[in-house]
Order: sequence, then C-alpha cells, then structure tokens
Amino acid sequence: MNVVADRPAARWLPSRHRFALARLIGYLRLRRFRPEREQPEHLILAINRDQTDMEMHLVALWVFVTTTCYVAAALPFVLPLAIVLAIPLATIVIHLPIVVGGPLLRLMIGDGNHIKIVSMTTMALLLIASGYVATTATWARLVAWLFFAILIVNGASAVILWLLRGAIHAAEERCVR
Amino acid sequence: MTRSGWWRRFLVRGVFWRQLLRFAILNVPPWTEPIIMAFWSTFFLVWGPGRRGVMRNLKVIKPGSFALANVFRCYRVFWNYAWTIADNVRFKELRTIPDWEFSGREYFEEMQTREGAILLTAHMGSYDLGAQLFSETSARRIVMVRAPEIDPQTREFEEHHGAESLRIEFNTRATELALDLLETIREGGIVAIQGDRVTGSIGSLPATLFGKQTAVPAGPFALALAARVPIYPVFVVRLGRRRYRLITSRPIEIVRSRNRDDDFARAVGQWTDELERVIRACWFQWFTFEPHWPEQAA
Repeated sequence: MNVVADRPAARWLPSRHRFALARLIGYLRLRRFRPEREQPEHLILAINRDQTDMEMHLVALWVFVTTTCYVAAALPFVLPLAIVLAIPLATIVIHLPIVVGGPLLRLMIGDGNHIKIVSMTTMALLLIASGYVATTATWARLVAWLFFAILIVNGASAVILWLLRGAIHAAEERCVR
Repeated sequence: MTRSGWWRRFLVRGVFWRQLLRFAILNVPPWTEPIIMAFWSTFFLVWGPGRRGVMRNLKVIKPGSFALANVFRCYRVFWNYAWTIADNVRFKELRTIPDWEFSGREYFEEMQTREGAILLTAHMGSYDLGAQLFSETSARRIVMVRAPEIDPQTREFEEHHGAESLRIEFNTRATELALDLLETIREGGIVAIQGDRVTGSIGSLPATLFGKQTAVPAGPFALALAARVPIYPVFVVRLGRRRYRLITSRPIEIVRSRNRDDDFARAVGQWTDELERVIRACWFQWFTFEPHWPEQAA
C-alpha cells in the first residue's frame, strides 16, 4: 500500500477513486486544487482505489435507490406502501449476491479475498435487472433508463481518461513528488 | 464447547459475529458497504442492553435530551462502531490503511522519542486500529492492555486473527502484569491502556466526568508514578469513511509529593478533563455499551 504524506491535493488523486467518472472528477479537482486555510498538522493519505468517502456513498445510494425502485415496482401494492416495504427488501436483495456468492466462492477457490468477483457479479445482476425493467411498462423503467444513462456517462469518462492518461499520470507524479 | 452451548456463539459477544464481520470484509464490494453498514447498525439496535446503555450515557453527556432523539443518536453510535470495527478487520485481513490526520503532533513525536511512556486512551473511535498501526510504524515496542473477551471462542478467534506485531496483555492478572508493564517502560517501550472504564475487579480511582461521580482505572496512574514517566492522552477519532484523526494531548505528569492521593487526584482530574472534552465533541464515537455512571446502572 502506498501512502502520501502532507500533500492535501492528493485527496483528489484519480488513483484514489474506483469509477471512471469519479476518477475524471478527481483529476479536474486535482488540477484546480487550492489549499484550504485550515490544514491538519500532519496528513497521511493512502493510495487505494476504494478510499474516497463521497464516491462510495453516492454509488451505494444510487444502487440502493435503484434496487428499491425495482422491488417497489414488482410489489402488488399501492406505490407508497410498496416503497415502504421495498426499503428493507432491497437491503436484503443487495445482501444476496454476497451471502450466496461468498460461500460458493469459498467452496470453489477457498477462503480469502473475493471482493472483485462478488463486486462484478453484483453489478452484472443489477445490469440484468435494469435491462429487464427498462423494457417493462412500469414507472420503474425511468429509473432503469437513468441507470443506463449513468453507465454511459461513466463509459464516456473512461474514454476521456484513456485519452488523458499521460496528463493524468504526470499530474499524479507532480502531486506526490 | 458442549453441544448444549452451541447457541452461545450467536450471543452479542459470541464468535459468530466476528466470523461474519471477517466474511463481510473479504466479500462485500466497497460500493455496497454503506448499505450493508446501515442494515447491520439497525439490526444491532434490537440489542436491548447495549442500546439502553448508550442511551443512558447520552442522557448524561447531553442533559435534557429527549429519549427519541437519543434513539437516533444511539443509531449513530452503532453506525460509527460498525465502521471502526470493519476498518480494524480490513487492516488485519487486507492491509488496507485509512487516511490519517494528526493533531497535537509535537506531543505524539515527543512520546515516541522518550525512553518509555504511557499512552492513555478511551473506547473511542478505532483505538485497536491505532494501536496496530502504531506498533507497526513505531520504532518503540508497544504493549496494549485491555479487558479479555468474555466468550472463550471469541477470545480464541481474536488471538488467532490478531496483529502479529502488537503485544496484547489482559488486565486479569494485576500484580504480575504491573511488573511486566513496568519492565516494558523501563526498556523504553510504550504501554497503551484504556482509561475510561473500570471492568471487573481492577483497582480504581474516584473521578468526576460530566459533573457526576465515577471511577477510572488506577493502573495507568500508579504505573506512571512508579516508572516516573508521563501519561500521553491519545484518541483515535473517526472523521469519515476510512479517515481518522489521531489526537494527542499535553502529557500528564504525576509529580510526587507527600500526599499520594492528591497526586493521583490532580492527574485523574487532568485526564477526565481531556476525556470529557473529546467525548463532548465526539459523543457518537464513545463505544461504551454499559451505563458508565454507577447511579445510572442502579
């Protein structure tokens, strides 16, 4: 694990972000970074792709709201009641790939770090669910379309990141030097 | 374990929850973590004694607060606790370290350059993670003193999955331990002790916290007096996801006089002032799940 000491700008290093859109935003913030007036006496920042607070909470909120809408649309109740019931059900649904996939992976490849596989499986299941909901005539199709719109924006960000890879690498080097 | 006692693993301090947490750390994608944390923090709100303990403590920390508001505050305590224990296990299993900010750095560095010191902390934020990281990055040897796990299987699990570089001593064998710790300090090591809670039959000193009578462990103060070293109040406060602040305060010097009780009272007063200031600012990270003040427990 790499760390950077006493470089407040390093908070915005693209390497500290997971998704392409967040990495691109990070790069733009890094370029326009202005130090805050009050800085901690000593700061140690870890360079890890899952390190950032805002990105992970926003993605979690997006996944949770999307799943809740899909579950609510599938329930045979009036909308307000369906949404109230969908909130705990969505939480359980999000647990399923982990509690089912985790032990299966353990059985197949042993104990250890299976986050990447579970992560890809969960996102793939959400993608399949969104594909299905997007073709239905329910109100939840709008949520599914939004889901795909965000994926497209993220994909476009990935392309921009690839085109800017040299500049991004140089900016990261300058920041941590 | 007897066949009839298998269900004990599911009690709140049972080993099942430690195993589940480890499983989660190795399987939960980071972008679903907040959802999982929110769910399990809500689940643990049904743990009556823990919830009531936190709410009673909040009543003293925030006098005049409403019970309903304290239920939500209690949820915030559980939410922060879930994140801190997860960060601790994540470090042990995946070597993932959080971001750190330092406050009172001059005292922290002074402690590391001294020949022996006592690090006095509280059940706040991620004290376990702080001690582990400190033990791996400091040139000084660090010994952490803590209360043992009640459940034997949980104790065994923690010993098996503990950090290799951190020596942990349990406060169950008072006399032998005091001599061992004194030796550690004389050899230039640092002894880390939690000084906010008296558990079991360990020696205590009277104190006042939030204007109410309570007690704090006597061990760190007696040790500081015997070893003639200062006590450094250190708190590890969680600022956000994978982000902590290490606060080190002005050291507490115990000056010997003819009246030992007065010497201790002055030191305890300085410690509780510091503790109260940090708890007041970060009440949502004081992980004391039993009523802290005796009158509340009654």
